[in-house]
This record gives sequence, structure tokens and C-alpha cells, in this order.
Amino acid sequence: MKKYLIRSLLQVIPVLFLISLIVFVLVHVTGDPVTLMLSDTATDEDREILIQALGLDQPLYVQYFKFLGHLVQGDFGNSFRYQEPALPIVLERLPASFELAIASMVVATVIAIPFGILSATKRNSFLDIFVTGSAVLGKAMPSFWLGIMLILLFSVKLGLLPVSGEGTFAHLILPAITLGTGIAAEMTRLIRSSMLEILQQDYIRTARSKGLSERLVVYRHAFRNSLIPVITIMALQTSHLIGGTLITETVFSWPGMGNLLIQAVNQRDMSIVQASVFIVSILVIASNLLADLLYRILDPRIKYN
Amino acid sequence: MKRLAITGLALILSLALAGCGGEGEQTATDQQPQPQAQSQDGESNPAENGKKILTIASGNDIVSFDLHNHNNTSTEAVHINMFNYLVKKGRNQEVLPDLATSWKQLDATTWEFKLREGVKFHNGDPFTAADVKYTLERVARDNTLLEYGNYKQIKEVKIMDDYTVHIITNGPQPVLLNRLSRLGSGMMPSKYIQEKGFDEFLKHPVGTGPYKFKEWKRDDRLILEKFDDYFGEKPKWDEVVFRSIPEDSTRVSELLTGGVDLAVNIPPTDLERIQQNEGTYVVQSPTQRVMQLTVRMTPGTPTADPKVREAIDLAIDKQAIVDNILAGGGTVTRTRVTPGNFGADPSLYGQSLYDPERAKQLLIEAGYPNGLELTLTSPSGRYLKDKETAELIQAMLGEVGIKVNLELVEWSKYNELYRGKKMKELFMISYANSMFDASLAFDRARSEIARGETDYNNPEVDKLLEEAETNLNTQEREKQYQQVQQIIANERPFIYLFQMSANYGASKRIQFEPRLDEMLPVDEITLKQ
Repeated sequence: MKKYLIRSLLQVIPVLFLISLIVFVLVHVTGDPVTLMLSDTATDEDREILIQALGLDQPLYVQYFKFLGHLVQGDFGNSFRYQEPALPIVLERLPASFELAIASMVVATVIAIPFGILSATKRNSFLDIFVTGSAVLGKAMPSFWLGIMLILLFSVKLGLLPVSGEGTFAHLILPAITLGTGIAAEMTRLIRSSMLEILQQDYIRTARSKGLSERLVVYRHAFRNSLIPVITIMALQTSHLIGGTLITETVFSWPGMGNLLIQAVNQRDMSIVQASVFIVSILVIASNLLADLLYRILDPRIKYN
Repeated sequence: MKRLAITGLALILSLALAGCGGEGEQTATDQQPQPQAQSQDGESNPAENGKKILTIASGNDIVSFDLHNHNNTSTEAVHINMFNYLVKKGRNQEVLPDLATSWKQLDATTWEFKLREGVKFHNGDPFTAADVKYTLERVARDNTLLEYGNYKQIKEVKIMDDYTVHIITNGPQPVLLNRLSRLGSGMMPSKYIQEKGFDEFLKHPVGTGPYKFKEWKRDDRLILEKFDDYFGEKPKWDEVVFRSIPEDSTRVSELLTGGVDLAVNIPPTDLERIQQNEGTYVVQSPTQRVMQLTVRMTPGTPTADPKVREAIDLAIDKQAIVDNILAGGGTVTRTRVTPGNFGADPSLYGQSLYDPERAKQLLIEAGYPNGLELTLTSPSGRYLKDKETAELIQAMLGEVGIKVNLELVEWSKYNELYRGKKMKELFMISYANSMFDASLAFDRARSEIARGETDYNNPEVDKLLEEAETNLNTQEREKQYQQVQQIIANERPFIYLFQMSANYGASKRIQFEPRLDEMLPVDEITLKQ
């Protein structure tokens, strides 16, 4: 177990290295920050001076190794836009993103568990068709569209909830529903199929033949075991969550990391982009690792090597 | 092992439940914050705690408090509430005293400014000549600052006494007062910065303006509060909140629900909705931005022929673009120097020459009876409705027999082509003019700079521009610029389309009149009562 953990952690290093390379190349190849920073009337001379000041006149590989050298010390350089170190700016945003992510997970769980179970136990019923149908719809709905529709309905038409920003619990509701819907859809389908599989297992038949009530069979025996893959999937959903926050945070002006990243990409603020992608990568890797470990703990049939 | 699994599972479930419980509890306690949430919506309500709060939403956050290292109009629009210039521009672009009470030109390169006495920075420091010297010399000497290019004309600032400075320029500077009343000239506290360091200034900026810094949460909100020791008229609002809401539809929704009092950058498609909503109205106001087509005149290209250029100009129904695409948010023009700028030629403003029949005729005269083919490059997503405008121009030129290959490119790609001077016959671009002076408008018409871009070369224009650049005789200078505009309107290295308007949505509880420079001095916004 310990050996496995150490090995996994060691594997993370080349992955992070690879990510640093990809991010660096993509950011430097796709856009030109200098143009966006200068005014329309700047002369070519102004431009040269700025390029030199930012160190963008050096060959790309030199820039990369410099970047890597600083990176090892946790320094992502200064944000072009804010003229302050990039990493603290990104970390400052993490709590807001976490808050939203957790709330969305709660929304997703609250929707997915009852509907997943019901849909599996009443297979092929009208309810089942309705639930699976809604799950497909929920998965297919673009989150920015859903977000805007929710704002129009609950804030503009009904005047119940604030439109955007962060502050009170009420501000959290709409973004959490927006982000939670997609995850709920995925989770419902997973719980349903996992339940269906388990309901056909021998031990369920045994439990039923012992004369246990259907309720007990479903909730005590089947549901508990069907949760094992669900929990791992929840951890793996982190990456989906982060992708979702990008859009949801922008729609609701939620001051989290996704919002920051979008603004940074628009402004070609390289250091912020690099730092956020890096932090996101670490989060995804960590959650995958955690999922892996959980899975092994929950299902002893899986070996550590 | 199985026990371990069950314990683990139980642990996770209980954690999940605790999580739910936590949320649940929050919901319960939030019955109280709930009305508070409401009150935050209505935080603009003056009755609330008796505090007068104004909330303004824009599409992006301010860039920085380094007044010299940004060139962002919307950032400056906020800064002006916290910082003062030596001289400021009135609503009609007249130069008014601000931190300087009077000024005069001593010789061609020396200007004397008398400073206002008894002015305090937000931290209590007095404002003196040392602050002027620090501020202007910093931006005039550090070539890595983004505003350096607009201030390098200042050679030195001499302190004569605590309340008198001499500004020495490199050569005659007819536009010095314009420079000093715009972005990059906000006076910074030299003593505070020397003692606490620049980083501290960036975190806790201090100025002399009517509002002082309270809180800044990036990409969310900047909160300012009134400064009781302000030297001018008492601030009207207790607190001003600038919110950053990048998504257009969200910004509009915030306005409609009363979450904000004023929203800038409203897309044309939402204007009617705001106008028809009960508590809100729309304000449109001209800006300094003019959209234009730049035309290549390099020998060998069809557009080298003046008749072809004229035909292009006559084929475009500019008013139709303004009416249909911008929902009326623009004014057609044949010059880039619009009213409010020094040197404007009103005879070219508010005009457009639409005559498709004459355009067809001109093409025949130019030797293209069967039409011709051109490339038009336009950015996509950079300016309001740029893509749609370019597409309509493509269709209009098609009507007279000019087949347009439309190249719609993303801004950074566009810029690569632009900076590399790799555009083909036509490209669409918009320029602003923060100097409010014609000098800035014709840089690209100089033969030296035009080389490889338009290849426009008119020695008369070169001479006029060069003379006007340093001419201290105001009337003569104005004439020179008007002459240049007539020549350009006639020779068409640039075909001007329209001056763009800024679209604002405002709550009916406030009275708001936008300014040409798009600044947002909040004390010009008043409660209607």
C-alpha cells in the first residue's frame, strides 16, 4: 500500500513536467500578449521595449527553462495584467471555486441518489424512462444556456434570487444548480446501471429468498454496494467540475478560478494561465489518486500491484 | 478487510452527510441572511442604513492601480474617482483647473503650473510639487511602462517651491495640456510610495480624489468610499461599487433586477429590453472610436486607382449599418477627428456618400466593367458587431460588382497581420483618441509609417502634419489639420464608416449623462428625487 502510494507520487513528477511543457508551448504559440497590452497608437519602438522588458525576445527554449527553474521554486512569474506574482492571485480564488464545487456535488448527490435507485428498481417503468430521458437531457444541456435560463426565470421573472456575484447563500443556489445538473445526470445513470447489475447478483437473490423485505434488500444490500463505483466516479468528476466552473463562473460572475482563467486567456496573461492550469492539473491528479486509493480500500478484490 | 471497507464507506457516507448537514444548517441560519441577500440586491436603495450606495457594472475589472502601466479606458474611468490630474477636461473638452489652479507657458518648452494648496492625500499627506515631479518623471523616464510613449515628451519637472512646478518638454508641445488631463497623469503620493514601497501602493492605493479605496476583490468588485477631506465639492455617494460582470446577458439581468444602477457595454440586441423594462432606461452616447476601412494603394493593386477607392466608399450604405447592426448606436462620418477633438472639421462629420449607381459607373470608368475581386480582413469579436458589419459591407460591395473575399480573424491573429503589415486590399479597424487632438489621428497617413500598409504618400500631408505637430499657433494648427482631413476624405487611404456609440443601461432612480471620453466621474451621477 505504502509502496503503491510512493510509486504513484513518483509518477506524478513526469506528468507535471509534461503539463508544464504543453501549457508553456500552447500559451506562447497561440497568442501575443504584447499586442493586447499596447494601445492602438503604440509605435514599433514601444513594442520592442515591452517585448524586451517581458523577456519575450529570447528563444522559446531559453524562456521555457527559465520558466521551469522558477516553477520549481513555486514562482510562476508576475501576472502581466496585475503586475503581481501569479500564484497567490490564483490561490486566492481557490476557496470560491471549492465552495461552488462542493455545493454542486451536494446538488448532484441529492438529485442522483433517489432517482438512480428508483429508476433501477422500477426498471422500464414510466418513471425509469423519464429519469433516463432527463439524464440525457441534463448531460446534453450546455451549462451557459442553463445558467442564463435560470437567471431569467428565478432572478429576472420571479425576483427570488440574486443574479450574480458571491456573498450570501442565496448567491450560491443558481450556480450550484447549473453546475450540479450535468454531474447529477452522469451520476444518476451510473447509480442506475450499477444498481441494476447488483440487483442481479446471487447474494441479492439469497437475501430475497430469506424473505427480507424489498426495502431492506434494495437499501441495505444493493444500494450500499452500488455506491462503491459511484464514489470513485465522484472523485473522477473533479475534472468535469473544473471544466464546468469555467463557464458557470463566468455566467454568474463568480469570483473563482474558472472566471480568472477565462479572463486571463482573453488578456493573454500567460503567468496566470500557466499557474491556474498547473493548479488544476495538480487537483485532478490528486483527486484521481484519491479515487484510486478509495476504490482499493472499498473493494478488497483489487490488488495494489 | 471487509470490515475496513465498511468502515471506510461509513466514514465517507457520514462525511457526505455532514456535508449535507452543513449545507442544511446554512440554509436554516440563512433564513436571516435571506433578507440580507435581498438587501444586497437592493443595496443601491438609499434608505438602506441611510447609506447612499451607487453600483456600476462593467464588462471587465480594472487592470491595476499602477496608473502608468495600463492603457485601459475602463480602468481610467474608475481611477478618476480616486486620483486627480493637474488639469481636467470639462464636458465640452475645455481644460479646467484641477490640482493646478493656473498655468502659463513661459517659453516654447517650459510650462509653469501653480498648484492648489491644502490638498490632502487619502492618508493625510499634503499634496505638493514633489508629488508632481515623482509622478510625471516616473512615466516619462521608465520605458517599460505602458504609458511611457505618451509622456516621454516631458524632459524634466522642476520644483520651484512647494506649490509651483516647471514642466520642461523636449521640443514644443502644443498638446501638453491634453496629455496632462488623461490616462497616466493621475497624481500619486510620492512620500507614501517612498516610505511604504510601490507594492503597498498597489494594494492600498492613495490619491487625492473624492473617493478612497476600501476593498478590491479581483474580477468581482472594487469598493470605494467617500473621502471627507476632499478639497472639492463634497462627495455625493457614501460608497461606490464597481462590479465586473463579463457575461453580457448577466450584466443586463443585474440591471433589470436592480442589482446594479448602471451597466456599461450593453449589446445592441438588449437595448429594447432595457428601455421597455419598468425601472430602467437606455443611454447612448458618442465615443472617441471611429470604425474605418484602411485601403492599400500599392501600385498594382486595383485599389491603387482612386476611382476604385471612391466606388468602394460610395457603395457602402453606412447609415444602414448603424441602423440595422448597431441599433442606431453610431454616427456616420468621413473623418476620424470627431467633434470634441481639437482640429475637427464639422463639414465631414455626420455625413456619408452613398450612391451605388455612381459606384458602378466609377468601376466601369476604372476599367472593371465586369467587376473585380478584393480581400477584406476584419477582426471577429474585437469590436461591437465587427463580424456582422464586415459581412454587410461584403454584401453591399457585392451589389455594385465588387466580389469581396472576407477574412474574419481572431484578434491576436489579426494583430499579427496588422503589425506585420500583411493585410491585403482592405482591412477594417477602429481607433480611439484619448488625446482629444487631431495629431494622434493621422500617424498612419505619414508616408513613412504608411509604407507597406497603405503605401499612401502625399508630401503635402506629410508637410502639414509635421508643421502642426509643433505649431504653437492654435488657429493655424487647427487649419492645418482640417486641410489634412479634406485631403484624406478626397484621396481615401482610409474610408471612415461611423463613430461608435457607447451603450449604457441605467436605473430610473439615477440621472446619468455619459461623457465623450467614457470616464465615469460618479459625482456627475445623481439620484433622481
